[in-house]
Amino acid sequence: MELDFSILSKFQYALLLGLWTTLKLTVICIVLGCALGFAVGLARTSRNIVLRALSSAYVEFFRGTPVLVQLFWIFFCLPLMLGVELSNFTSGVVALTLYMGAITSETFRASLKSIGPEQFDACVALGLPRNVQVVNVVLPQAVLRAIPTLLSNCVSLFKESALVSAVGMADLMFVGQNISNNTARPVEVLSVVALIYFVIAFPLTRAVSVIEARILGKLAI
Amino acid sequence: MIMSFSLPLVKMQSLHKSYADGAIQVLKGIDIEMKPGERVVVIGPSGGGKSTLLRVMMGLEKIDSGSVTFDGKPYISSGSSESKTVIDMSVRRSIGMVFQHYTLFPHLNVLQNLILAPCKVRGEAKSKAQDRAQTLLERFGLGAKAKAYPAQLSGGQKQRVAIARALMLDPKLMLFDEVTSALDPELVGEVEQVILQLAAQNMPMMIVTHDMWFARNIASRVIFCAGGVVVEDGPPEQVLGSPKEERTKEFIDRVFHINQ
Repeated sequence: MELDFSILSKFQYALLLGLWTTLKLTVICIVLGCALGFAVGLARTSRNIVLRALSSAYVEFFRGTPVLVQLFWIFFCLPLMLGVELSNFTSGVVALTLYMGAITSETFRASLKSIGPEQFDACVALGLPRNVQVVNVVLPQAVLRAIPTLLSNCVSLFKESALVSAVGMADLMFVGQNISNNTARPVEVLSVVALIYFVIAFPLTRAVSVIEARILGKLAI
Repeated sequence: MIMSFSLPLVKMQSLHKSYADGAIQVLKGIDIEMKPGERVVVIGPSGGGKSTLLRVMMGLEKIDSGSVTFDGKPYISSGSSESKTVIDMSVRRSIGMVFQHYTLFPHLNVLQNLILAPCKVRGEAKSKAQDRAQTLLERFGLGAKAKAYPAQLSGGQKQRVAIARALMLDPKLMLFDEVTSALDPELVGEVEQVILQLAAQNMPMMIVTHDMWFARNIASRVIFCAGGVVVEDGPPEQVLGSPKEERTKEFIDRVFHINQ
């Protein structure tokens, strides 16, 4: 077969627009998802049994079901149950934020647990009040330790976001699929789409190991 | 006579402490009076309650019964109801402690480690705390390490930083819990020198150590603790040199044998 990549130049703008939607969706869901994840991570290590049960149920449910099913459920079932129309974008944000919250909460939980009891001994010996312990000792260490895994979580989210094309959101994947259908040139179009995802995701995965080495080297935490 | 010397700095009365609902008794009635300016070294076999004693003094462990007064003020007591240990937080602030495993905050550099408590607990101005910290670091031979992170320091340097951090709060009593046990042998000396420096300034201290050379050099008094009780208590030349109690003698013989 003959490959002709020149047809893609016609769709440059459409692809860029799709990429923009993908990036916007990913960044918003990273921010909201990490905040949710940290709160849920704290709840899961809390002494309050109700908080622990609720947060665990949420995390296990979202980790134990396919993201595609979650997306469909939020797109089609949630509006029926709430009786309100949600825009495509809002539904996408809700679905991917809940997914991101579930996976990052595990990351934060692990990093919170990895802070040894001797750090708390030091806090007591220095007379640090509870709020200072949390803000100046626990939180920065938990976040620093979580960064490498969080970055991996972000890369996963960026890739998983392609699923929103299945519910008609005009992201990079959706645009690519449409172009491929209309031009009957799936090899060229889908290869380029894959390449675009890769060019963005690859540096991030590399950054994970660099940052990991930095944090481990300098702070040994 | 100097009357102030009659008032003990620390008075522990009948301290009892157990784990696992009383199944494991670690302290079985400890009574120790410590005068101001005394340097008490606590020695004894592992599991004999030495570290627990220091942790109780720091307010890190609850007690089953007994009480501690500090500088004439009630400090720790077993409350009226069970498993309620009452600790006076304002008294606790005048005690500093250094641990075996440094316990520096890994995400903060040396200077930040030193000024965190003075700034956050006492509300001291940052610039003033930094000046004091720098002076203290110079004194301990760490002037050039102010911006280093704990992971970039040797064990001996980390432990000297930990001592400096505790001193930033101007403690009236310092507790040292096996502070050289985790160190490579060639680094032990630099940490002990710093503690000897403090001793020369009459800082009252309680030290748990396995280093008998250090014990003899720094102690004004040695307590041999085993099985959760004080077995022998006296000047270093007596307890380390010619112990009265058979258990002390056995322990000392064994330790010196190992050291040689």
